[in-house]
Order: sequence, then structure tokens, then C-alpha cells
Amino acid sequence: MLEILLIPLVITFLAPLMRPKLATAVSAISFLIPFVYTIYGLAENLVVKQPIIDIVKPIGEFYILGDQISFSFALAICLVSAMVALYSLPYMAHRFEEMGREFESEYRKYIFFYDLYATSMLWLVFSGNFIMLYIFLEISLLASFLLIYMYGYGDRRKVATLYFIWTHIAGMLALIGFLLVASTNGSLAFDSIAKIGFTAWLLIFLGMIIKLPGLGPHVWLPWAHAEAPTPVSALLSPLTVGLGAYVILRAYLISPWFIKKFMVPIFIYGVVSSIYAGFMVFRQNDYKRLLAFSTISQMGYCLIAFCLGTYGIMAVIIQYISHAFGKAILFMTAGGIIANYHGLRDITKMGGMHEYVPTISNAALLGFMNLGGILTVGMFGEFFILKGLVDTFGFDVSAILAVIFVFIISGLYSFYTFKRIYCGKPAGYEKVKVNRLLDTPLFVIGVISILFIFPPLAAILLNALKAGVAKILLLGGVAP
Amino acid sequence: MNWEIVLLFVAPVICSLPIAFFWVKEPGSERARKLPILSVFGLFISFLIAIHILLTYPNGTYTIPWLPDYNLNFVFIFDYLSKYMGALTAFIAFMIGLYGLEYMKHDYRLGWYWFFFNMFTASMLLVVYSDNLLMLLIGWEGLGLASWGLIGHWFRDDDEIAYVGIVGRKVGPLKMYWPPSYGGWRAISTIRVGDMPMFFAVAAIYALTGNLNISQIHWGALFSKIGAVGTLFLMICFLMGPFTKSAQLPFSEWLMTAMTGPTTVSALLHSATMVAAGTYLFIRISWYIHPWALHSVPGVEMLYYFVLLLGLISALYGASVAIGCLERKVLLAASTMSSLGLMFGCAAASYWFGKLALIVAFWYLLTHAFAKATLFLVAGHLIHATHDRFCCGDLNLAKKMKTAFVATIIATIALGGLPPLTAYWVKAGMDGIMHHLVEMVGSLPLDLLILTSLLYSAFLAKFLSLNFWKGDKYHLHLHGEKLMPFAYACVVSMVFLLLYRIVTGTDPLVERHLLEFGLEKGSLIVGLGVTATYLFALVVPRIKALSPIGTFLGDRMYLPALNDFIVPSIGWAISKLIEYTHRAIDWFCHFGLPEFMLSVSKRIRSIQVGYLRVYMKIALAFVMAVIVVSMLGWL
Amino acid sequence: MMLLMLQSVVSLILITLGAVCSIKDSRISLAVSILALVIALPVAAATQLFMYVLLVVAIGILTIFSMSVKENQMSGVDYSLVALIALITIYIAYTNDVAFILAAFVIASVPTYALVFAGDRPMVDVALKYIVFMVLATVLFIIGTLMLTFSSKAGDPTLYTLGFVMLILGLGMEVGCAPMHEWVPDVFSAADPLPLSVIASITKIVPFVAAYKIILLTELPQLSNLTIFVAFIAVISMFTGNIGALTAKETGRILAYSTVANMGYVIATLSIVTSKNYLYLAFAGALLQLIVNAFGKASFFASIKTNGNSRPLMYLLALSFIGLPPLMGFWSKFFILTSLVGAGLVWLAFLLIVNSAISIPYYLRIARNLAGDTVPGKVTAIALVASAAMLITLIPPNWFVSVAKMIIGGV
Repeated sequence: MLEILLIPLVITFLAPLMRPKLATAVSAISFLIPFVYTIYGLAENLVVKQPIIDIVKPIGEFYILGDQISFSFALAICLVSAMVALYSLPYMAHRFEEMGREFESEYRKYIFFYDLYATSMLWLVFSGNFIMLYIFLEISLLASFLLIYMYGYGDRRKVATLYFIWTHIAGMLALIGFLLVASTNGSLAFDSIAKIGFTAWLLIFLGMIIKLPGLGPHVWLPWAHAEAPTPVSALLSPLTVGLGAYVILRAYLISPWFIKKFMVPIFIYGVVSSIYAGFMVFRQNDYKRLLAFSTISQMGYCLIAFCLGTYGIMAVIIQYISHAFGKAILFMTAGGIIANYHGLRDITKMGGMHEYVPTISNAALLGFMNLGGILTVGMFGEFFILKGLVDTFGFDVSAILAVIFVFIISGLYSFYTFKRIYCGKPAGYEKVKVNRLLDTPLFVIGVISILFIFPPLAAILLNALKAGVAKILLLGGVAP
Repeated sequence: MNWEIVLLFVAPVICSLPIAFFWVKEPGSERARKLPILSVFGLFISFLIAIHILLTYPNGTYTIPWLPDYNLNFVFIFDYLSKYMGALTAFIAFMIGLYGLEYMKHDYRLGWYWFFFNMFTASMLLVVYSDNLLMLLIGWEGLGLASWGLIGHWFRDDDEIAYVGIVGRKVGPLKMYWPPSYGGWRAISTIRVGDMPMFFAVAAIYALTGNLNISQIHWGALFSKIGAVGTLFLMICFLMGPFTKSAQLPFSEWLMTAMTGPTTVSALLHSATMVAAGTYLFIRISWYIHPWALHSVPGVEMLYYFVLLLGLISALYGASVAIGCLERKVLLAASTMSSLGLMFGCAAASYWFGKLALIVAFWYLLTHAFAKATLFLVAGHLIHATHDRFCCGDLNLAKKMKTAFVATIIATIALGGLPPLTAYWVKAGMDGIMHHLVEMVGSLPLDLLILTSLLYSAFLAKFLSLNFWKGDKYHLHLHGEKLMPFAYACVVSMVFLLLYRIVTGTDPLVERHLLEFGLEKGSLIVGLGVTATYLFALVVPRIKALSPIGTFLGDRMYLPALNDFIVPSIGWAISKLIEYTHRAIDWFCHFGLPEFMLSVSKRIRSIQVGYLRVYMKIALAFVMAVIVVSMLGWL
Repeated sequence: MMLLMLQSVVSLILITLGAVCSIKDSRISLAVSILALVIALPVAAATQLFMYVLLVVAIGILTIFSMSVKENQMSGVDYSLVALIALITIYIAYTNDVAFILAAFVIASVPTYALVFAGDRPMVDVALKYIVFMVLATVLFIIGTLMLTFSSKAGDPTLYTLGFVMLILGLGMEVGCAPMHEWVPDVFSAADPLPLSVIASITKIVPFVAAYKIILLTELPQLSNLTIFVAFIAVISMFTGNIGALTAKETGRILAYSTVANMGYVIATLSIVTSKNYLYLAFAGALLQLIVNAFGKASFFASIKTNGNSRPLMYLLALSFIGLPPLMGFWSKFFILTSLVGAGLVWLAFLLIVNSAISIPYYLRIARNLAGDTVPGKVTAIALVASAAMLITLIPPNWFVSVAKMIIGGV
């Protein structure tokens, strides 16, 4: 287990020493190995616990925890990171050229921070201690911040700072929450926490709501995700924000009372966030900003799902995976257009783009299918949310209609956007030859997301989730 | 058995992949243009398997493990409904595939077309053979997606021939013309509105029973458990899927603008199979709900009554619209909607009449599929030949396109319900059923049915007349098509096969029932009325005096306002409101608050005047103040 | 203990010799001063204080090097003075005697009076501001200490309160807590950056250690009622520093406000001095924060002198100040937060977080102002060592808590 996780970590430090092509390939492989391992872990229902180091009293032991939940999250992280790494090579070449920088030396820097970013997220989901988790959360923040700061678009320094401040507050709030837990339980290792008190829960929840983000603190996200260099957006939006849900999930599995008690307000909040952001999507004219709002809407699903019992919890995980796949594809399509048409992001200047970049358009369809839960793994997410809804609320008409409306909205904006960008009268550009790395990775993710509704992958994932989540929740207690 | 079933669904998709990939690489090259033959070969494999299933498989279910831990599996059901429906789907798909080889020969986007066409076939077969509702949903979503992809096939919106409506025409705020990309968007958005409630209903059924196999769920027990309101809510949510997919009111608009797709698509998806999937699903679940045995369960009657009325009213609406339409394909689309309404109505009558109503509805589905597919294929050929979407043609045209002419005559007569061809017997069955219902729910259903039937035969005759006899001027460009006439000749000949089964009473479930219905006096009177209308409309296809009414009907009674004006206006108003809220929050967080901080910062720095005495004053004042206060004992 | 005495005597002699020899050649003094510091290492090697000594020696050598970046009018003597401060910073860890602590406090403070004059051109008015404040601070601190010592023996609560308040005020004025921080921005922006790299860094450690020790030595029960006053000072200081820095333009001035803010963080830990369970953690946090501050400020000020320094190093140091794991700046804040939360001061922890968020923009601005190309040289080396120190906490610094326990544990 530890050895597998060390591969990307070691590569992070080795990759900058290699030539760009080799570095890219090696980075991608270093994430694909854990990807295969996570599938193996899910199939075998592995639960791994490997101690690393014991810290002073109130912090407790740092250990690697690989259970079904970690594996499921890692699955998405590894695949997306690997594919986006491949995608980075042509994209960043374009970006450096645009910024007038020298390719090779800049790319060395870039690939280091990129790998660091992805690796820290991978380690985060295998952390068995809240402080360890927090540390990786902050490292991922740091790496992504620097990437935006160095290579972002627009007023990149300002946007990066803004991103930094918001997520730093998020992390620190959660940190105080963790510390409160530490002071009452004497440890922050998952397996030795008995209960999370009210203030602690509130702080963790608030922090992660900023990160997730929910309505209100969501204002940072459209800036950060739109102005980041696209490969970074393609990790930020699919992977990083959802980690907020991961943290809440871990806290929930240890001590679910908070969410159970405030189920109705959280549910309403999730619905409102999701609908709010869904409507915002219709009004966006910047492709990446549009996708950013869609992220907020999708993360509303997670908030909703948290309130819906065992199946809801499984839905959170599936929703994370599905959104990760879909949004990674979509951000990469946005980047594909940017790279081929000199920074074209304004949707009002697009139209009929299928004519010029058919492969990217087809990939975008796969992405939107993921968002809408059509024929992709997201279908199970929606199914479980709805099942959990009936389990929890029974036939509460308003709740049901609200959730249905949320689902409808995301389907509508997906295809509305697709129509605006890729269909209609062609906008009059030159047809270009798209670099293979700018479209193939997208299809790999897309095809895998479809394979996940068929056996054997569907059975592997869902059976493991059932074994993992249901067992923990039935015991009503502590994660293994 | 195992590999055969898998191959049934996989073969079309696999066989369409080469063209899908190759077209991206070399769009329009000679080599790429040969690959569609492979796709049609995939359809052919499915066709063979479906026939094999029809002829040799025993009735029953067959299971492939999927998520056994959740009691969710791929369960294929082989019964009366699915065997016929599967064979029908595979047959028509294969025939239209052949037709498409010629029809789409010079298209600019063959990879996309064939991939979605074949994916559609696979999805439809999945829906047909599926007993498990979640597995059915996979197929169902596939249908929606394929429908979207194929309607918007000519995404460039650059060819007027692909539009619906007269380009440039406006009525009030409404644009009365729709490009393909818009047609696709309307289709998927409407279907989404229906699919999500349906999805919920499936999840709810799963939550309540732990089982999703249609044939195994104890529907009666389920309905009793959730009570009348629960039943109505659950089942109407469930039927939202079929209603939207089968374009019942008020979700019919998408079907009209779906005509922006290639005609092959209209023929296969938007008349014969996909839209019928909604009614098929309703028939299938009613088959296992046994509503006729649930008279003691509250809510079920109300549900079926609702479907009955909705179906029949939609049927009347569709028929009226078709009367006013002059566009070949839109006319047929409206008539399809009308037929689907009849199927819903007839199937819903099973609550009072029993299983036979379902069988009649199903036979109407079969008849309609063959006949309507033929009409669409002919319409496609005509559009190809005349480069005109609107009805035009005369006897001269009929002479030049004999096969088309004959096929149209057969199809219209067979579908219109003129004795003694196929639909007459089926519609006679419907008449008999609705007549039976008069005692229980009143004469409204019967009246609606008869009115619809009359209108129906009228617009079919009008279609025939305006295209081959008394239509406008046209320019003919025949290219010596062979496959196209062959395909619709094959399809239309199937109505005789159905007729044979009905008349001889060899079908195991229909037996001689339809024959008996057809020989009743009432049915004969209706049949004669229908014939009279047909002949009248054939001779007088257009009545100038009534043209305002015709325009009103042809504009679909301005129902497009719902899709194009009312719903979007509300949506935009809400989103505008939300955007202002967002801007306010954004301004506060990213401008107001920072500015405030900066002004505080300036104030803090303003004490740095540079004079030591000022500093000493401040520091000492603070020291003294603290000491004094601490001595006063506040600490 | 004998060894320690011996070493201190040898070191002091060496320093004096160095100062004398510097009349001939300042390089002798440089070498000798460093030697005087280095010999403190083997003596401490066996004890648990070794890491502390090592870090202080590193900071000492760093600041000595930073003084040597450019010759000034008292080159040679200044190295000795810095070495003296560093030595006293080490020795204060060993003692629990109030008299010695007070002496250390004075010894660590007085050399800076001379150092502040060093530079390209003497700035008398700036130096005057500095010295006046320092003298006042020292007086307050000493009087406060005496009052505390007396009243804790006599058991006089009123006098105790007065003494505590004066001690804290003296401490605050000495290190530059708001609202007695007025000297800091002026001095930090006007004086020569090189001596500032001493004044802003290593000299801050002794006052805090001294204050901790004295408060613990003289503790009376009503101390728990008084700590709210410290929290009050901490909050004012944090906000003044962080918000003030937002609009400051010169790098030196930003660093001045950053110092005010940092001293706020550190003094915040004094507010839970009565919570025995978290005392060591709090002190560890404070001490680590001071060390981070010392490393960072020394490098930053040295970099100001050369108008820029290696880009990655500047950013790394800035990020450490912001408090990102796994850099040392994170662990110091982390220990502080843990102790505050553990002792029940969640509101203070919350305010600390708000402040840490406010501080992000200006730390990035510092880094951007100072970022330049990587040119091998003394200043780059200084920043490199400081950055390396920030990275030693890649492995969670458990050991530091035991070091902290050693330093104030005997009290």
C-alpha cells in the first residue's frame, strides 16, 4: 500500500529532472499504477492500515488508511490526474508560448507542482488522521495556488491570492474543528475518535462548505476555476473541491449525529445551492466560468446526498467520481478550444464548433453525459440519491420535486451549453489539426465512465461501497 | 443463449465504431464512405437474433449478473410483447439502415449518424427485452441521447431543408421555424423533464420493494401499501417518462421539431419505435400490474382514467394538428402523436376491459409502426427527389415513383382504418372496448376515439392526395434510387402479414377477437364513416375557406409558446434575479470587504507621523491607562 | 554544568578577543564569533536542548553573516555583539534564576542599541526612537519582574496585578506589540536593513523566554484572571499588524507590520499560561514561531539590502510565514492553535485564523517585491539556510515539544 503511494511521491521529485515528454509519461504512469491498484483493492474489498508515525498526545497516530471509501475516491483522483498530466504537455506548451516563456525550464517547474498537487490529493484520501489529512489539504492548496499564480489567466496574481485566502480560511476553520476533537478525544486518528462535539462539527462543516462550496461562500470558485491554467482547473474543479465532501464524509462516518440532526436545513441548503448555481450556468458567457458554476451545482448534489442515509452516503462517493470524470473532460475541452484558437473562451464567439474540433466536441458530449448522469456512472449516483430520498423522507412531495428539479436543471444546462458551443451556424474559424494529447485522454476518461455502469466495473465499485459504507454505518461507529 | 443475447445489443454498436473513428480521421474520404455497410451488417446481426428469439425462445426470463448484492441484475424477459416488439424493432431498424445507405450517401457527418443510429437500435432492444427497470433505464437514456444526437445531426443549421416551419415566419414573439440544433435541444430538454420523475419512481419502487423486475414486483401489494395518493404520485411520476417520450400533451412539441433530423431518423425513432417505447412500457407494466384485478386498490382507477383521457385528448389534438399541416414530415409527426395517444387510451382501458385491451393497443402499435415507417420513408424519398419539405406532387410524379405511390396507398389505407385492411380490425377492437366503457366512465372516450379516427383518415388521404395527385408544383431530381424503394416496399408488406394473422386468428392471444369486433355492426358503421372521410379528403385535400382554421391547427394551436416563450421567460427571469444576488455577494466579498480593510489599514498607518514625542504620548498613555484600569480592579 | 560554565567563559573570551582584533581585520572577528557559537554545540550535544541550541546557533551565524554582507563603521564589533546575543539566547534556556533571567534580558537588548547605528550612514533620529522605547520597555519589564517576585512571596494580589501588567507592557513594548508598536514601522523602514536583520529576528526570543519563566516562577492563583489582558493585547497586535501591512508599500514597512502581527501570535500563547495541560504546547508554539520569525526576517532584511534574492526561496519563506504545512511556519501556528483550542480559547484561535487569512496578500507581496534571479552569494546562502530550516519539519516536529518542556519544565 505505502509502496504504491510512494510511487507518485517519488516521481514528483524525479520528474523535474527529466525531459518534458519523458516527465509527462512517467507522471501519468505513476498515477495509473495506483489506479489499477485501487480497482484491485475495491475488487478484493481490501482494508489496509499502515502506521507511519506517532505524534504527540492530542494528535495521535498518523497512519495510512485504505478502505473502500479511500479507494473509491482515489480511483477518480488517479485516473483524472494521469490523463490531465498527459494533456498538460501540449496545453502548457501553448500557454508558455503565449506568456513568452521558455518551454523546457518552465515545464520542469510546472510538472513538479502539478505532480505535487495531484499526489497530495491522493495521499489525502489515504490519510488515517485528521491532521495528516489537513496537511495534505494544505499542500494541495499550496501547489494549486502556485500554479494559478504562475500560469493563470487574467489578473492571475489577484485571483490566486483570492483563492488562497478563501481556501486557507476553509482549511483553518476545519483545523480548529479537528483540534477541538483532539482536545476531547485525546487523538485525531480516525480509529480512536469516539465523538465529534457540536462546535467541532460546526467548524469542520463550515470550513468544508467553503471548500465544497455551498451557496454564499461559493463566490471564490468561479474566479479561481475560470482563471487557472486549464490543466489545473481540470484538477481543481473535479477533484479538489469534492475533497470537502470527503472530509465531511469521514467525520460523518465517525460521528454522524450532526448531519442527522440538521438534516432538513442541510438538505434545503444543498437544494438551493444547486438550483442557484444551475440557473447561473445559463447566464455565463465564459466557457470556463460556466463550468465553474456547474461545479457548484454538482456539489450541491453531495450536500443533498449527505442527508439521505446509507444510500445517500454511497451517492456522495459516486457523485464525486462521476463529477470528477465529467468535469475533467469538460475543462479539458474548454482548454482544447483555448489552445487551438488562441485563448478563445467567449461562448458568444463560438457556435458550431463541432465543425472545427469534432473530437473535442464529442468528448464534451461525454462530459455532459457525466454531469447529467446519462449512461455513465453518475446514473447510480442519481439513483442512490433518489432511493435514499425515499428511505429518509418517504413520499415528501416537496423534497422529491426539489431533487427532481435539481436533476432536471443540470441536464438542461448541460445540453443547452452544448448547443450554444458546438451546434448551430459555424462561427467561421479555420479547421485545425488537434494534438492527439488534447483529445485522447478525454476519451479515455469518458469511456471508463461509461464502463462503470456495466459489469464487472459497476459490480466492483458498488459492491465494495456497500460493504464499506453499510458496514460502518450499521455498526454505528468508528471507521476501521 | 448467453452470447447471443449479448451480441444482440453489442453487435450494432461495435459495428458502428469503425465508421465513427474513421470519419474523425478522414472525414468524407472514399474509403470512409464504404464503412456504413459494416454498420448495417451489425443491424442485420441483431435482426437475425431477434427473429431467432421470436421463433425459438421459450417464454421466460434470463438473468445475467450485474449487481447481485443489490438484487439488481440484467434480466431479459421473453414474452409475447417483447418477442414481437424486438423483432419489429430489429426488422425496421435493419430496413431503414438499408434505406439510409442510399439516403445518407452524401452526408457530411456519417460517423456521427451511424454511431447514434446503431446505438439507438441497441438501446431500443434493451428497453424492449428488459424486465429490470434500472436496466431499462440504461436503454431509456440511450434512446433519449440517440434521439438528441440524430435530431441535431445537421448541426450546422445551414440547410433550409432541415428546418421545421417556414424560415423567417414569426407570430407575435414566437419564431415559427426551428433549426436542427434547436430541435435537438427541445427534444432532450423535454425528455429530461420526464425522465427524472420516472427515475425517481424507479428508485422509489426499489426503495419500497427491494426489487425492480417488472414481472416479479407485487404491484397490488405496493399500491395498497402507499395508498391512493401515493399510488397516483408514484405512477404519474413513473409515467412522466412514457408521456414525454411518447409526446403526449403538453410535451408534444419536441416531436414536431424532431423532424429537423434526417428522415430515416424520423421514420425509425420518431414514429415506429422510440416514441412507441413509452406506450410499450405502459403496456408492459400494465401487463404485469393486472389493473383489471386491482379494483379494490384505491387510486388505480383514477390513474387509468387519467391516462385514458390524456391519451385520447392527445390523439385528438395530434389529429387536428395533422389536418392543418402542410409539411410532409410534421404532418406525419402529428399523426404519430395522435396514434400514440390512441395506444395510451386503449391500453388504459384495460382497467375496465381486461388484458385484451392491452393486446389491442399492442397490435395497433405494430400496425402503426410498419405503416408510419413506410409513410416516413416515402416522405424522405419525396423530399430527396423534390428538394421540398412541403407537400407537392401530382399524378405525373406518381407515375415516376410508382413504388412510393403504391406503398403510400397501402400504408394510408392500412393505417387509416378502412376496411378490410389491418388497422380496421384493430380499430374495431378499440371501438368495441370504448363502447364497453360507456357504461362505466361515460361516452367521452368513445366520442373522442371516433372523432380522432375520422380526422385521422382524412389527413392520411390528404397526405396521399397532396403528394401524388393534387399537390403544388415541384422540381424532380431522381437519382435512380434502388435501396430506398426496396426498403419501404419490404416494410409496408408487413401490414399484410399482420392482416393475415388477424383474419386467420392464428395469433395465440389475439385469436379471433379482433375478427369478431370487426364484424360487429357499430364497427362497420365507423369503418364506413372513415372510408367516406378518406375519399372526401382525397378529392378535396385543401379547403380554401377554412384556411384560418388550418393555420391555427397547423401552428399547433400555438402550443410552441409553452416551450419557446413561457417556460424560458420564467427561467430567464429567475436566473436574472439570481445573477443580481450573486453579483451582490461577489461585490461584498471581493470588493467591499477588501476596500474596507484597506481603509482601516490606512488609518492604522496614519499614526506613523514620525515624531517621537507623539509615539511616546500614545505608548505612555496606554501604559498609564492600563495601570489605572488594572488598579481599579477590573482584572 | 561545569562544562557549560567552561564553555561560556571560553566563548565570552573569544568574543571579546574577536572584538579587539577587529581593529586590525574584521574577518578575524567574524571567524572568532562564529567559533564562539559553534563550541556551544558539543556542550549541548548530550542534552535534550541540542535542537534548540542548534537552531539558535544557526540563527546567530546567519545574522552574523548578514551583518557581514556589507562593511559598516563598526565592522568586527558588531559580529561580537550578535554572537553575544546568540549566546545569551542559549543560556537563558538553562536558568531558572530571576536575577540571571533579568540580566539576560538586558544583555540581549543592550547590544542592539549600538547595532541600530550601524549602516551606510548613521540615522540618529531613528536610533533615538528605538533606544527610547527600549529603555522604557526594559524599565517596565524589570519593575514588573521585581513586583511579581516580591508580591508572590508576600502574597499581595494588588501588587501582583500591577506587576503582571507592567511586565506584559514592557514585553510588548520591547518586541513591538500594538498599541506600543509605533517605533517598529519607523525603525524598520528607515534604518539600515542589515542591523535590522538582527533586531527583527534573534533579539525577540529572549524577552519571551524570560517572560515565560518569570511568570511561571512567580505564579499566584489570580493569574488566571489576568491572562485575558494578554489575549487583549494579542488581538490588537494581530489585527493592527496584519491590516496595517496591507497598504504598506516599502518592503521594510511591510515586514515591520508583519513583526507586530507575529508578536501578537506569540503573546497570545501567554494567555493560557495557567492551563497546565497545554502550557508546553503553547510554549513550543511560541518558541517555534519566534524561530520562524527569526529565520525569515533575517533573510528578508538581508535580501532588501541586495534588492532581491532567489525567487523560490523568497516564496518558500513567505509561505512558511503564512503557515502552510509542512513548513515550519505551519507547525508553530499549529501548536499555538492546538493549545488555544485545548485550553478553551476557541474565539482567540478563530481570530488568529482570520488574521492568518488577512496576512496572505502582503506576504505574497513581500515575496514578489524581493523575488529576483538566483545569484550565488552570501545573501542567497542566508536565504538558503533559512529555507532549509523551514523544511526540517517535513517530519512532524514532535521533538520540539520536548525541547520546550525542557526549557520551562524545571520552573
